[in-house]
Amino acid sequence: MMQSYISEIGRCAKAYCEHTARSLPTLPDTVVTLVEMGFNVDTLPVYAKRSQRMVITAPPVTNQPATPRALSAGQKRTHPSHIPSHFPEFPDPHTYIKTPTFREPVSDYQVVREKAASQRRDVERALTRFMAKTGETQSLFKDDVTAFPLIAARPTTIPYLSALLPSELELQTLEETDSSEQDDQTDSENATGNNISDDPGADKENSMLPPGGVAPAAKASEDNVIDNPYLRPVKKPKVRRKK
Amino acid sequence: MNRKKDKGFESPRPFKLTHQVVCINNINFQRKSVIGFVELTLFPTVVNLNRIKLNSKQCRIYRVRVNELEAPFIYNDPTLEVCHHESKQRNLNYFSSAYTAAVSAVDPDAGHGELVIKVPSELWKQGDDLKVLKVYIEFSLDQPKGGLHFVVPDVEGSMAERGAHVFSFGYQNSTRFWFPCVDSYSELCTWKLEFTVDASMIAVSCGDLVETIYTHDMRKKTFHYVLPIPTAAPNISLSVGPFEILVDPYMHEVTHFCLPQLLPLLKHSMSYLHEIFEFYEEILTCRYPYACFKTVFVDEAYVQVSSYASMSIFSTNLLHSAMIIDQTPQTRRCLAQALAQQFFGCFISRMSWADEWVLKGISGYIYGLYLKKTFGVNEYRHWIKEELDKIVDYELRMGGVLLHPTFSGGKEKDNPTPHLHFSIKHPHTLSWDYYKMFLCKAHLVMRLIENRISMEFMLQVFNKLLSLASTASSQKYQSHMWSQMLLSTHAFLKSISNVSGKDIGPLIKQWVDQSSVVKFFGSFAFNRKRNVLELEIRQDYTSAGTQKYVGPIKVTVQELDGSFNHTLQIEENSLKHDIPCHSKSRRNKKKKIPLMNGEEVDMDLSAMDADSPLLWIRIDPDMSILRKVEFEQADFMWQFQLRYERDVVAQEESISALEKFPTPASRLALTDILEQEQCFYKVRMQACFCLATIANAMVSTWQGPPAMKSLFTRMFCCKSCPNIVKTNNFINFQSYFLLKTMPVAMALLRDVQNLCPKDVLNFILDLIKYNDNRKNKFSDNYYRAELIEALTNSLTPAISISNEVRTVDNLNGDVRLILEEITRFLNMEKLLPSFRNTITVSCLKAVRQLQKNGHIPSDPSLFKSYAEYGHFVDVRVAALEALVDYTRVERCATELQWLLVMVQNDPTHYVRHKILGMLSKNPPFTKTSDSALCNEALVDQLWKLMNSGTSHDWRLRCDAVNLYYTLFGLTRPSCLPLPELGLVLNLKEKKAVLNPTIKPELGVGAGMDTAASIGIHGVGMSFTAVDEEPDPISLGVCGVGQPPQGLKRKAETPLGSPPEPGQILQQQDDDVRDVRGAGRYKIRFNTMEEEDIDMETVHDSQAFIHQHLNLLERPSTPGKEPLSVEQAMLSMPATPVPSFSKETTSSSSKHGGEHGGHHHHHHHHEHKKKKKKHKHKHKHKHKHESKEKERERDNSHAYSNSPASGRSLRSPSLSD
Repeated sequence: MMQSYISEIGRCAKAYCEHTARSLPTLPDTVVTLVEMGFNVDTLPVYAKRSQRMVITAPPVTNQPATPRALSAGQKRTHPSHIPSHFPEFPDPHTYIKTPTFREPVSDYQVVREKAASQRRDVERALTRFMAKTGETQSLFKDDVTAFPLIAARPTTIPYLSALLPSELELQTLEETDSSEQDDQTDSENATGNNISDDPGADKENSMLPPGGVAPAAKASEDNVIDNPYLRPVKKPKVRRKK
Repeated sequence: MNRKKDKGFESPRPFKLTHQVVCINNINFQRKSVIGFVELTLFPTVVNLNRIKLNSKQCRIYRVRVNELEAPFIYNDPTLEVCHHESKQRNLNYFSSAYTAAVSAVDPDAGHGELVIKVPSELWKQGDDLKVLKVYIEFSLDQPKGGLHFVVPDVEGSMAERGAHVFSFGYQNSTRFWFPCVDSYSELCTWKLEFTVDASMIAVSCGDLVETIYTHDMRKKTFHYVLPIPTAAPNISLSVGPFEILVDPYMHEVTHFCLPQLLPLLKHSMSYLHEIFEFYEEILTCRYPYACFKTVFVDEAYVQVSSYASMSIFSTNLLHSAMIIDQTPQTRRCLAQALAQQFFGCFISRMSWADEWVLKGISGYIYGLYLKKTFGVNEYRHWIKEELDKIVDYELRMGGVLLHPTFSGGKEKDNPTPHLHFSIKHPHTLSWDYYKMFLCKAHLVMRLIENRISMEFMLQVFNKLLSLASTASSQKYQSHMWSQMLLSTHAFLKSISNVSGKDIGPLIKQWVDQSSVVKFFGSFAFNRKRNVLELEIRQDYTSAGTQKYVGPIKVTVQELDGSFNHTLQIEENSLKHDIPCHSKSRRNKKKKIPLMNGEEVDMDLSAMDADSPLLWIRIDPDMSILRKVEFEQADFMWQFQLRYERDVVAQEESISALEKFPTPASRLALTDILEQEQCFYKVRMQACFCLATIANAMVSTWQGPPAMKSLFTRMFCCKSCPNIVKTNNFINFQSYFLLKTMPVAMALLRDVQNLCPKDVLNFILDLIKYNDNRKNKFSDNYYRAELIEALTNSLTPAISISNEVRTVDNLNGDVRLILEEITRFLNMEKLLPSFRNTITVSCLKAVRQLQKNGHIPSDPSLFKSYAEYGHFVDVRVAALEALVDYTRVERCATELQWLLVMVQNDPTHYVRHKILGMLSKNPPFTKTSDSALCNEALVDQLWKLMNSGTSHDWRLRCDAVNLYYTLFGLTRPSCLPLPELGLVLNLKEKKAVLNPTIKPELGVGAGMDTAASIGIHGVGMSFTAVDEEPDPISLGVCGVGQPPQGLKRKAETPLGSPPEPGQILQQQDDDVRDVRGAGRYKIRFNTMEEEDIDMETVHDSQAFIHQHLNLLERPSTPGKEPLSVEQAMLSMPATPVPSFSKETTSSSSKHGGEHGGHHHHHHHHEHKKKKKKHKHKHKHKHKHESKEKERERDNSHAYSNSPASGRSLRSPSLSD
């Protein structure tokens, strides 16, 4: 009861003080609070000066036990120059320093290559084995058909399409490398034949090569002016051309 | 040498063709049939033209009209069945002559043809004024086996969605397979071509597309082409399909066509065509003769490249994307070849078959110039050397290749090439290998001519020929102008002598009029006292395929003081030539040594002989003789030549010579050249293999890591970790090719146990493992394929303990690793197919090699599944090659059967051709070896194949002949029973077959049998007579292998399918119709005396055959006719074995003796005799009629040469 009363006083006083845009309550705040709570303030000095009041002695001053130093984790950082020195210090370094918990990745070329190679091989083997398990297979051995399973050869109706068209994977690779090495290609093509003449058309030609890009668009507009008999519209039959 | 001296062209025909209309109004992809008509405009060149001979094969002809009048016609194709079906004659000599006779009988160059049209008598009078005749022929083709090829993939959707297409093809003049025409390269005319196709399709053909018009129902459209430039029928082509169109961005008059979905590839592949155009137009200083050019890429192409007037048909497999390296130069070469043939071959045509070499030579030669310009001099010289080696090898192995055959008198006796098992009189009787070598030699000879008269003059000659032709082509029809577009050997040589003023007669005589090559053996000695090089050059001109060379030869001697050329004269008896040396031997002076090209180099001369100033010697360094040189010089000289001679040919020669000198010095020289980046990459590639050979020879003394290993590491592996190869980057093509080659060569290394060293195998496996193409802009499929080949090369025979079955368990550890890689590659290929399935191809080869070496059980089933139709053609060929090999190794009859069935049934012509080619190259047995496979059934099967089964494809038939020759040789196959016995048996068999049905009338049946024995035409003829159908063609068409009941249908309806001659003839014996026919036949016999035209045509070809029979028959007495076909056949063994001939005579007498016993045979011969008599009568008549025909020519020639001799053309079948 007593406690809640006191804390109510404190709370109200704080509210009044904040109401007047201050942060610390002053005496008037407390007074207003007490008044508000129906307490006769005038009786207070009288009460305080009463004769038989108890005096509480101050507790004996004990030595402040020294707080054990927190585990120091390295040097505390000092403030950078733009922060005024009065600002609080940095907390202990352990609160903001990150300590990597994983091992350092191996960047050795050999291992990387090794890993990439075996990864790819494993994926390929797993994939092909899966395909072989799920589909029809052919075997090289009569006695053990599961050893070295070969995915059965299946004739396709249009075999030249898959054999000639680059696979999607290859196309993807091409796109990646294409932009960077455009110029190199021109050089090397000239280098292969021992003396390809420096035809100015050659460079242009090579730039036309990659599928997509500018070339087809340019050509499309060109085609409009080309008078090629195969591009002409098909004529309607004439009435007199009866057969 | 009987070259025509007159320049003008003499047509063998009594008319001149000026214009032809071809109209195909229906192409049915479902039924694979074609319906259309042709109209030929002819000018008779003689009065009273009464017969017109045209070429036509397998077409069914419905009606023929001449100037709106129905005209009777006869269709007769002796090449359908070359020899009588029933004949038991099985010797190749006989077949070859019969086949040549059959081809001659319809040879358009001699004015013959399968289709003989009788000009209605109403028009004869017109002939006096030499009026125009318009011959209109309606025809159809049903499931053509040759000439046109339908590709109809078996998927859902309309024909256009399925990518169905059709295109014309053929070997030489084969246009007659798809429409009636004068199928000769020398009969030019202008053309109007109309093709009505589905609206979703495009018809591409020769000439200019004038317009495209929808039909009335709007479902189809008609393509109208006009070809105003006079063109020969064999240069006409057609392809129809749902093509994607690409107008060439550089030349708008050039249009490219490809199958759906391939447009991006087409764009890339065609992006350099304009350069080829520019090149040719520039060197020939002549514009491309046609107004437009079209390229069409089709599937299942017959050959990779075929050129026709203003269009070329290519295999679709030539298309490639920008990622592919290896295919690019090949495709460019094919395009260049096609374009070269446009000028020479299509625009300028040949006058006769004997002049073929000129055109092929010129087009091959200018193609070579293109190669030189595009790929460089090194590549060009390398190519020339390759071609020279090829022709030399072929001629030394097989005998001479004759470029300009002349046939004086047309007698087979003067056969200029008796060493060959086929006749070179016609393109259609040539073996394919021979033809390829012919082409090779032709362009090499052109190069020799260039060497003689200079390139400038050479090009002037071409320009002159072209400008003459183009002047002529723009003329309207005038009888003599157009012949300017025909090129003959004579005209060509005359033009050369006019332009250059030089006499190249000896050169022509040596290489063109004569076959064979020269074979030199050279050796030398250095005479220190006189300071003279004593060179000895010997020749071998006695063995097959060689000839004697007399004339200049260039010898280049590299001495210390420089390089010197000497021209020596090779004469009859002088072998030794003294060449004075320019330099004294003085090795102590340090001085740079000047080379031929002016370069001066330091050499380490410690290896050389202290007394001699000679570094190396080369004989005929410019390859100006078609020769093989075997030259002996010391190993250090070869090494010097390899290191310091700058000519790639010299380098390649020295590499092959160094194989015989396995020394550390050779090793060093080869390694140096391998490392030298300036060196031509093909030389370096060759050095790899030589190094492997040397290393194997030096295996006991070899020091250091395996050959090439450290070199490879230095060139291609990472600096930091030398056991890992760099990620792929193929920007530098030279090193790409080296990268591909080195592992393959290294895998050939063997250690002391003759196994592939463990190091090397692991090295290759690592290459595969670490192969990383992610950062590469080029595809690595060829590289991976080569790595698999390297694995294959590393295989050595398994140590077999016993003949136990190979199982997984006893698999060698290394082999297991290899097998795992192959399995993975092969499986991955199913998921991510590589370009042209190169990896599958390599894997199949590897599997076969594993089987062959006994690591895994030998089993053909895998290959069989890959050989099925529906796989990519390269894969099929690889699988078939493995099967052919399996057949040989295992001597398996079932596989051989399987292959032969595929030869007969496969839809792809190329594959059929390839199977036969591979079987000939890798035969299951040969004529000299015994084999269980060699039995009568196989002989019969092959005989049937070449006799009648391949009549639709000249090339295939020649392949079959080749195979037959490889297996059995020229004479009767040894596995057959003795001829005497065989004959008796045959007769009995025959009797057994025929006797039950023989009735009194059956003499007729036998008579017909005889007719058939002469060739199918005989059957056709007799039935025309029998059935009175206005449709003799359908009979003439009859191919073998068609349902036999077809005959009856045929007799009733012209649309019925054609019969099989042999079978039917027996089946029908009980047919009522035949009884009726018998009567007719007899009637015809009676009327025969009155010049029955039917019988004449029978004789046309029959006469040929008999002529040859007579020629071959050793005791032949002119005028005395052989009693029967069988007898004649039997009495002419190719190699005169005395006992054999005795047997034959006795057998024939026996045969004769049996006549009385067998009614049927009696008639048989009687019939024959009658015919013969008849023939003789004709002969006499001719002698009276035409005096110029007095020389002993066969009368069919006489006929053809005097078609207007007033012979009446009458046939009971032709009722107007």
